[in-house]
Amino acid sequence: MTATQDLTTQFRHGVLPQTTSDEFSRQEFVKSLKFHLASKVSLGNHDAYEARAKPAYRKATGAEPETYADIRKAMSEDPYFNFWSAMQRNSQEMMWKSVQIPVERQLPDLIAAAGKGGEAAGTLRLNPDLEIPKYHRGVDIHCMPGGYHTEFTADDVANGAVYDTAVYIYAMGRMGPLNSDIGDTTIAWIKENHPEFKPRRILDMGCTVGHSTLSYCDAFPEAEVFGIDVGAPVLRYAHARAQSMGKTVHFSQQNAESTDFEDGYFDLIVSHILVHETSNAAMRRIMKECNRLLTPGGLVVHAETPPYRDLPAYDAFMLDWDTRNNNEPYWGASHELVATEIAAETGFDPAKAFEAYQPSAFEATERRTKVFQGGDFGGGGAWWLWGVQK
Amino acid sequence: MAEHVTLQKKARGERPQYFADPAIDKTLAITLALAGEVAVLRDRIDTIERLAEAGQAPTRAAVDAYRPDATVRAERDAWRDTYLDTVLRIVHQEREELEQRAADTKPYAAVIEEVTQVD
Repeated sequence: MTATQDLTTQFRHGVLPQTTSDEFSRQEFVKSLKFHLASKVSLGNHDAYEARAKPAYRKATGAEPETYADIRKAMSEDPYFNFWSAMQRNSQEMMWKSVQIPVERQLPDLIAAAGKGGEAAGTLRLNPDLEIPKYHRGVDIHCMPGGYHTEFTADDVANGAVYDTAVYIYAMGRMGPLNSDIGDTTIAWIKENHPEFKPRRILDMGCTVGHSTLSYCDAFPEAEVFGIDVGAPVLRYAHARAQSMGKTVHFSQQNAESTDFEDGYFDLIVSHILVHETSNAAMRRIMKECNRLLTPGGLVVHAETPPYRDLPAYDAFMLDWDTRNNNEPYWGASHELVATEIAAETGFDPAKAFEAYQPSAFEATERRTKVFQGGDFGGGGAWWLWGVQK
Repeated sequence: MAEHVTLQKKARGERPQYFADPAIDKTLAITLALAGEVAVLRDRIDTIERLAEAGQAPTRAAVDAYRPDATVRAERDAWRDTYLDTVLRIVHQEREELEQRAADTKPYAAVIEEVTQVD
């Protein structure tokens, strides 16, 4: 970890957008609104379900709601749930607006700062001809206008800067000053479960601005660290951010379904909240590509929120909110994945597949709800890890 | 590179409609944005007061450049949480009512069991 003095605010690296006091206050309001909704308003949905929606469902169907889909049906007309949903959706849109204002104001400065280089030996390789996958062109994931790939000007870093600031607000600071909790947690799991593992090369798939990627530089100082993503603006920003923090990472613009690395190039392949932003078909292609890229004995680990089968039906229903309300079309289906099945389908030995929970590496106990629910990202206090050893 | 670049404001994808009349969706969006702007103004007043208390002139430049430290941020977080309790009063009222009704759906026998249990 980079030395940070203050664990309650985002780390100020070389390309983090500056904010005026008003701009910062607007972002802080969104963070407070999100926390208020998650900690004080969202729990009323359960009472609305018990007191109103469940009895109505029983009356209409003569049966108990059993699955999360039944509960969704039962709750679809509930006025409390719909009002909460509307506020939740607004908090997301207000978040993007609050971070776009300062980024739009200082974009030329951010682009100039990103071009400065820095002290590390990292590299950046862009491919303007890369076809942006359909699942990123269809809708803008989690309502971020333009997604990871849209370029608004030459050498654009806008949506890298937007994403970096927004993730801190979205997770309400509970992923730490570097937004690195998912990477740090994945690393903790790897170290606990594979203490002798010494990867020579590590690939972070769907790395965006490198929130998790940089943690691998410190955790495995002997390894070469690579990050790929389909979006040029997030990669330019990731490169500049890493360089300013003195972390050596080799970023390149590639689709994880088909990369240009040679067979067996990596010992460790990781992804952090990548899987739910792909598709059932793409995710299988990604796993086949992992199989090709891994050396024998190598490890692939994907970090996500828990699969619905591990949760009570009501909690699964609340976690599934994003599928229909936050432009996360693959969220629901990705939460049904079974590691052994995917391993078997993609040429791995299913006996070497795993699913695990690892407690969050970052301590933010007082602000965690310990619930996995829509609009409360990073509040669960643990991440779900799945993957396979080759 | 000095030209002003305008970012895309609408995320691609159909926006869900939460109320029968789309005007209600818009009105809620505007109300929440206004609640945010009131909080921004309140922080600005708080900044002016803190600068004055520290013997600094609360000029626009000084206010714009002010960065709250961890203590001030925690105080403002607490203020905003209370402020949201006030602004969202009607939502909290409904939540309380639902909480009571949900508790009432428990069978009486469950209540007996609850009060007779020893940890």
